[in-house]
Amino acid sequence: MEDGKLSRVPMIAITVLRVAIGWHFLYEGIAKLTSPAWSAAGYLKQARGPFAALFKGLAGNPDLLANADLITMWGLTLVGTLLILGLFTRLASLGGIGFILLFYLCNPPFVGYFYSIPTEGSYLIVNKNLVELCALIVILVTGSGRFAGIDRIVHGLIRRR
Amino acid sequence: MAGENEKGKETPKAGAAGPRKLGRREVLTGLSTVPALGLFGYAWNRQRQYQQAKAEAAAAPAEAPKDLQVINVALLGAGAQGQVLTDAMLRIPGLRFRAVCDIWAEYNQKRVVNSLAKFKHEVRGYENYREMLDKEKDLDAVVIATPDFWHAQHAIDCLKAGKHVYCEKEMSNTLEGARSMVAAARETGKLLQIGHQRRSNPRYLHCYEKLLREAKLLGRIVTVSGQWNRALAPDLGAPARYAIPDARLTQYGFKDMHQFRNWRWFKGKGGGPIVDLGSHQIDIYSWFLGANPTGVMASGGLLYLDPATHEWYDTVMAVYDFETPMGKVKASYQTQTHNGSQGYFENFMGDQGTLLLSESEVYGARLYRDPNAPAWDTWVQKGYVSAPKIQEMKEKTEGVTDVRESVSPDEHKVSIVLRDPYHQPHLQNFFNAVRGKAKLNCPPEVAYESAVAVLKVNEAIEAGSRLSFKPEDFRI
Amino acid sequence: MSTDGHEHADGPRGPADGGLEIEGRGELCGAQRFSHEAMATVFEVHAVHPDERYAAQAAQAAFDLVDRLEGELSRFRPNSDIARVNCLTAGGSTRVGPSAMECLVIARHMFDLTGGAFDVAIGTGLPSLELDPDDCFVRATTDWVRIDLGGIGKGYAVDLMAELLEEWGIEKALVHGGFSSVLALEAPAGLDGWPLTLSDPGSPSRVFAHLSVRQMALGASGLRKGDHIVDPRTGEPARGRRAAWVAIPRPDTARLEARSEGRPRVAAAAVADALTTAFMLMSLEEIEALCAQTPGLQAWALPEPEHDRQEQATLLHIGGSGPGYTSTSW
Repeated sequence: MEDGKLSRVPMIAITVLRVAIGWHFLYEGIAKLTSPAWSAAGYLKQARGPFAALFKGLAGNPDLLANADLITMWGLTLVGTLLILGLFTRLASLGGIGFILLFYLCNPPFVGYFYSIPTEGSYLIVNKNLVELCALIVILVTGSGRFAGIDRIVHGLIRRR
Repeated sequence: MAGENEKGKETPKAGAAGPRKLGRREVLTGLSTVPALGLFGYAWNRQRQYQQAKAEAAAAPAEAPKDLQVINVALLGAGAQGQVLTDAMLRIPGLRFRAVCDIWAEYNQKRVVNSLAKFKHEVRGYENYREMLDKEKDLDAVVIATPDFWHAQHAIDCLKAGKHVYCEKEMSNTLEGARSMVAAARETGKLLQIGHQRRSNPRYLHCYEKLLREAKLLGRIVTVSGQWNRALAPDLGAPARYAIPDARLTQYGFKDMHQFRNWRWFKGKGGGPIVDLGSHQIDIYSWFLGANPTGVMASGGLLYLDPATHEWYDTVMAVYDFETPMGKVKASYQTQTHNGSQGYFENFMGDQGTLLLSESEVYGARLYRDPNAPAWDTWVQKGYVSAPKIQEMKEKTEGVTDVRESVSPDEHKVSIVLRDPYHQPHLQNFFNAVRGKAKLNCPPEVAYESAVAVLKVNEAIEAGSRLSFKPEDFRI
Repeated sequence: MSTDGHEHADGPRGPADGGLEIEGRGELCGAQRFSHEAMATVFEVHAVHPDERYAAQAAQAAFDLVDRLEGELSRFRPNSDIARVNCLTAGGSTRVGPSAMECLVIARHMFDLTGGAFDVAIGTGLPSLELDPDDCFVRATTDWVRIDLGGIGKGYAVDLMAELLEEWGIEKALVHGGFSSVLALEAPAGLDGWPLTLSDPGSPSRVFAHLSVRQMALGASGLRKGDHIVDPRTGEPARGRRAAWVAIPRPDTARLEARSEGRPRVAAAAVADALTTAFMLMSLEEIEALCAQTPGLQAWALPEPEHDRQEQATLLHIGGSGPGYTSTSW
């Protein structure tokens, strides 16, 4: 074991965190895949904040929008599955961070923004999206996949050569 | 890590030095989170089952089967209710209209004959029903929507002429009339269905069979309340140019056009609102409680309308006593015709929950679970009732919460939706029984029990005291 | 993250205040007035008849008729004909009553006539519904058609109410549904016609025109400031005009003596109702073309003032004068 790595109990806790976040992503992904005609348009059209024009433009372009929807639905599902399995954990974490960052920037919870879609109210910058984002950063830097995940098997196979 | 000698999934390459083997422990730890996927799949599956059960509960009815045996139907009584029944019957496959009989030849009879012609039913119009029974050779069933005081005569004659009969409620305006109808049905062996249409309403059937009998969601029902409040409206009139000649009115038992149009308010013709409106709901009381009443007390009067043109009570409040297998029940009922506040509904109150029920969509069917009762999750999962609606948090008031107020109970809805006109399921049940494919939901014996309970109310108002029922009163 | 991605429109469209009224609220005419709430508006019968009680009974019979129609036509009633049509999936069919069938046939005709500006399916594909008027069957060829008869139902009800009043021998009457659909029968004694006013929906005291009408169907549509209508041709919210009015004379064949069974009903008020909705969105050229090809059809349009300034808007009148119409001032 390298120096600086965390000991067992913290790693188990982080694994549990990883599986929980993975479950959440997987649920969101599959729910969108199985609901008829889900589209991100609702959220994009309500974009606020510095990047609002970009998101609204995306909503206005049907081709781009269709692609964005597909990427979102399958991306969430993939990220979720990978996180639960602990396979390619770093990539999955980066992907997850990317998604949440986009969602966060699209509908930021700043004071003075009122949305009609259900959100958790105005949290003055920190909402659940941001917390999940930070949790994923923890997953990213602690290599939980290599601790208790398929990455461990893969890592073992690679290290052997 | 233990065990240099542990068998791993891979055999070590010869000459490798340093790197650890891929031991079993490694693999197990690596795969330790995979079961989470399995758990996810299970949970997802359960969720889907619930959503499917919910969707099925609200699903549209199946397409009508082909090769339906065609039933030849005549309509006896083409007034407001006759037209409502005709509307419903036009949407039932496998029916052929042959004749329409109504003494108002100039107006209602002509109107229904013409509207049936629009649907390609070539019907003959009659003023005299006996003539119709004689002349119509290909007739299987008659639907009767004439005034209550004619029901017995019309139904008996039609049954004796070999026709199956669907007769509007109230069965008859007198018990003797009702009794003779039951006797005629038994003698002739023909089917007689009385038009208490809620007995075939899918929402009512669901509440009775699934929620009360199977799930027993209300626990022990102790009190019931019901009402039909109707807003003020002028008496029914008629276009002057289509007035019926006096001779014809007298021949069929009417004093004048006003009585012909407003027979419900006259003694010897109808029973007033308690019979017109109350008979539906009091029938539901007996049905859902599974018992006939043991007594009734009632108060009523003609409080508002003009006594010169109305004979029966425009305001009635009645209280029934029931003895059910679970215990005693008191059921109140109110009807009035000068204020429509809160419309019409029945409310069953038990120690574990409440069921608020109505034929109208204003209420639909709503259930409230008593906070102390066990959770209804199994039944929600099966799709019997909806998931509870989130109750709004009450505003925090200054000071201590009043401990006398109980917590708001959760509201569950029943998602059964009737997509057809209100009388269609009951008529469909009748015609299916004619084809031998179903049992009548309201055969004459059942309707008779209802009639006994309902007709007693006017008697009780007259008597000014509590009247009792004996079990023999309900049997024929 | 939340799974609810439903779109939300810019806000609910309020009821149209059409700016059409009886001058002096009808008290000048010696008529009795009867009101009834239905179809999310107030229907009224103004009738002149010596027997007050008889007139009240006739009005009640007319209101019972409206209630029956609402039960068949309203998409909000789960067991109405239209609600059943809206539940159809591709290949499914259902029988409807004659009233629903008539409304759908008229709606389809108006859809074709206005180039889709009047669309009871609001862009979800009215032509994909197959109508079989002989058998009263409606067949759906797609899953997504959603019908809302709001733009024609009141007019149709008003037509039927007028027919009923004539059956009862009440010839001097005016019937309306929320004043967005009006049918004037014969005028009260001593008057050439029922006195109506067209005014600015935003400020009812600004009267643009006085009309004196008999045997005429009128429709009125208006928008509150800042509201939008959805243009069914594009699916997008459109500014539309501030108000539009339509008048169609009631043909002789609609009157009781001339009415015969088997002939299709002439539903002038239903057509006026539909055209008013369409004229909120159609261009002036299109409206002029329609008025030119339909003798007797008249329209008035009130454009939105430029740049939201409190400018006086000018009323535009399109179409020639027909029988039973006199305009006395602008």
